[in-house]
Amino acid sequence: MAEATITHGGSTFHDEHHAHEHHEHHGNFWTNYVFSTDHKVIAKQFMITGIIMAIIGIGMSTLFRLQLAFPDTKFAILEFFLGKWAPGGTLDPSFYLALVTMHGTFMVFFVLTAGLSGTFSNFLIPLQIGSRDMASGFMNMLSYWFFFVSSVIMVASLFISTGPASSGWTIYPPLSALPQAVSGSGLGMTMWLVSMTLFIASSLMGGINYITTVLNLRTKGMTMDRLPLTIWAFFLTAIIGVLSFPVLFAAALLLMFDRLLGTSFYLSDIFIQGEVLHYSGGSPILFQHLFWFLGHPEVYIVLLPALGISSEIISVNSRKPIFGYKAMIGSMIGIALLSFIVWAHHMFLSGMNPFLGTVFMLFTLVIAVPSAIKAFNYITTLWKGNIRFTPAMLFAIGLVSFFITGGITGIFLGNAALDIPLHDTYFVTAHFHLVMGSASAFGFFAGIYQWFPKFFGRMMSARLGYIHFWFTFISLYCVFFPMHFIGLGGVARHYYSNTGFAFMEGWTDVQIFITYAAIIGFVGQLFFLYNFFVSIFRGKVASLNPWDSNTLEWTTPLHPGHGNWVGEIPTVHRWPYDYSKPGVKEDFLPQHIPAEEVEYEEGFPRPATTPSKAPTTPLKVEDVGMEAAEGKE
Amino acid sequence: MDFQLLFSSIQVLLGLIFLMVVVNLYLVFRLKEIDPFAKWNPSLLNGGGFFAFYIIGMVAATVSTIYYYPELTLIVNPASEHGVEIDRMFNNTMIVTILVVVVTNFVLFYYSFRYRTKPGRKALYYPHNNRLEVIWTVVPAIVLTVLVFDGVGVWHDIMSDPPEDAIQIEVNGKQFSWTYRYAGADQEFGESNVTFINEGKGNELGINLDDKRGYDDLVTRELHLPVGVPVNLNIRTRDVLHSATLAHFRVKMDAVSGITTNFHFVPTITTREWRERTGDPEFNFQMSCQQICGGGHWNMGAKVVVETMEEYQDWLSSQQTFLATYQGTNPDFKPDQNMASESEEGTEKIADAGL
Repeated sequence: MAEATITHGGSTFHDEHHAHEHHEHHGNFWTNYVFSTDHKVIAKQFMITGIIMAIIGIGMSTLFRLQLAFPDTKFAILEFFLGKWAPGGTLDPSFYLALVTMHGTFMVFFVLTAGLSGTFSNFLIPLQIGSRDMASGFMNMLSYWFFFVSSVIMVASLFISTGPASSGWTIYPPLSALPQAVSGSGLGMTMWLVSMTLFIASSLMGGINYITTVLNLRTKGMTMDRLPLTIWAFFLTAIIGVLSFPVLFAAALLLMFDRLLGTSFYLSDIFIQGEVLHYSGGSPILFQHLFWFLGHPEVYIVLLPALGISSEIISVNSRKPIFGYKAMIGSMIGIALLSFIVWAHHMFLSGMNPFLGTVFMLFTLVIAVPSAIKAFNYITTLWKGNIRFTPAMLFAIGLVSFFITGGITGIFLGNAALDIPLHDTYFVTAHFHLVMGSASAFGFFAGIYQWFPKFFGRMMSARLGYIHFWFTFISLYCVFFPMHFIGLGGVARHYYSNTGFAFMEGWTDVQIFITYAAIIGFVGQLFFLYNFFVSIFRGKVASLNPWDSNTLEWTTPLHPGHGNWVGEIPTVHRWPYDYSKPGVKEDFLPQHIPAEEVEYEEGFPRPATTPSKAPTTPLKVEDVGMEAAEGKE
Repeated sequence: MDFQLLFSSIQVLLGLIFLMVVVNLYLVFRLKEIDPFAKWNPSLLNGGGFFAFYIIGMVAATVSTIYYYPELTLIVNPASEHGVEIDRMFNNTMIVTILVVVVTNFVLFYYSFRYRTKPGRKALYYPHNNRLEVIWTVVPAIVLTVLVFDGVGVWHDIMSDPPEDAIQIEVNGKQFSWTYRYAGADQEFGESNVTFINEGKGNELGINLDDKRGYDDLVTRELHLPVGVPVNLNIRTRDVLHSATLAHFRVKMDAVSGITTNFHFVPTITTREWRERTGDPEFNFQMSCQQICGGGHWNMGAKVVVETMEEYQDWLSSQQTFLATYQGTNPDFKPDQNMASESEEGTEKIADAGL
């Protein structure tokens, strides 16, 4: 087996460690598995928590899909899960909003932000840049535990008697500020805000760590232009998060003040439930600006890691270099910058000055250009490749399709004039579920299938992976594509039922189709869950580099211990995408192989190597540090 | 109770779970000797699957688009002047995007199929091509520039200041209904503010009783609009956010507490003409709320009637003025005693004091 090739003591220790069952530990269970500072363990913690949150979040959507398709039918299953919120099996209209709100919150923040970035940034950044751990392992651990507490509070808010927050995941005041307006704005909203505050703290600690690690802890030779695109994506994502999440914190804090201390930041002139409230002079639009200053970059916080993961996977499995490496980096930087100046396109009709609408429309449509570059580069990477259909590759290709089909409708919605009819209809729901929801979820799946051997040292079943992919891919298209029709038919989002308006009523048959597709898609996820949890313990033992990949994580032992590499960290000699390089014997050329050790095909002239192995770029901080250390010795 | 559907769906669910358990058991025990899939080539299966998915998906999308197109309220048969412009732009954008989606998805799925791995195949080392990359930077940029300039123009026209002769109508949102106010004979709205609301006593809009301009205002539950004339909706809310939406007229604007927003447009077709055209004698335009506002959000509607100017005037004169309805519920109220505010200045002072 592959482990046999590693003879170093430390590695043997760890392999034995895992070979035993988990009840046999060396008295360090808490520090090894619970309060671990090892980035790999923290990544697994984020992953498992994310999967649990995803099951709850997707489960909620399945419940409210039943209501949307069959508004007049009573479902015992609703009463079973929701109790007093679905008396006799009929969903309560306020609780429908609560379900929608919590579905959005869970999926956007807990699954696709923390679950995706938390898992893969934590896991891949140190492994792919050649570092022993994050810059601050302790802060990284805190990041997870803040996230954990935040998740617990958010889940707990589902069980309180006034119900969880129910003013949409965007929690616009005054609805979110006034318990008189909807019962979920009582304790449920307070818990939402407390949970999100902890979440923001978690996300900031994670983000600062990712940025610092990428900038300072790259191994020798790993210049910024030799980073895998995954790392570039995580790096830019972290920068976006660090710059935008504090603004959400400010928004949440002011909302707290309005709710608890009686200030009037967002509230003015309100009469509700028979009484005039004292609020005066605030503006609900201020909240929307603050919220979307995070909220829009958040879309890219969710999407960029998925795009990074798919870049890597598509290149590896096409056995080709990613097409336009520098253009990919450039377009990601472009997206990251532009993401900060497009937020108000969510607010064209919020009552803000229409002139602002013009400005934000310009920037919004500009963002389509770097997105287009990325899509075309993915496709060109496939061209004349040698495509291996691993489950990860299937999900990565599916992601590109969602990215194109879902992203293109952004051209409609980003156009302020077209947004007038389309705003807050199912067209919007279709758009962001395809481009943000489905594409990012596919990034998550692709990443899990690709790096599962590194996570757990075992392989997932490819066949179950195929079944899972086709179930998910087809059902997601069947769920979200028809939503464009419903939206253009005029059906509004957040509607408990489309029977309230004559012109929306005709769309019930499509709603039924969508609900069936959603249920089938949900059932399809059982293949994944089964495959995932069984493969952790029973999967085929993986080889050291199962996908013939170039990046550094595959140079670690099968079960890397804390510190990742036994002995020295490998030095990097080239960019990560030398797949199928002409003349080279294998169709991959790992980053850590020195030029003189590369095996060439017979009769192929060995290219002249530069005499110096040192990086050709100007000295960097870590190089100086290393030279200083060597000098001392 | 209709449990039939539940039972059938549970049966389907159980069936699927059973199927999955069987598949899994089979995979776990690896019954290779009877494995019917052992010779299936995953490369062909998945690559071909993508291509088949593309073909079937495109056929399904095309057929359903043709089938549903006439029912797409938001992009066919606009009932307002600016709606025609919006629909034109929508169709232009649609042509561009359909082209992009069809072609790029085709290339994506076709390449997946065409370049699937085979023994002996070697991939082409092709890391970049600057000319190609310039092409697909510049072409989208040009197309988007055209769309942006078109969009800016239309948006600017729609959002420009309302024409001076526009009919002013106040739209008031509350949980969960719409109330409308017309200015009445004097063409001026009376001062109103949440502090003046007295719901039990027939003043749900909070019209200032000291401001006589409000006495002839008309408070209605239906929105009536004359055809072919610019109308300006002054949109307000007394509680949470709402969004005044007239889907057929391509009108939508949030109602925001503390401020008045507005949207002006020209209706181009009467309710009667619409009924004749669609052959639906029951048809009515409706205003809906499209900003999440609480439990009754889904049902927060109002009837909208577009009619000729004469019908509109007749309808207006058939409505009771605010003073008349108010006196109906408060017989003791004497307007003469409340003439503190002859001048506008006085009104504002009172309004400020009320805040």
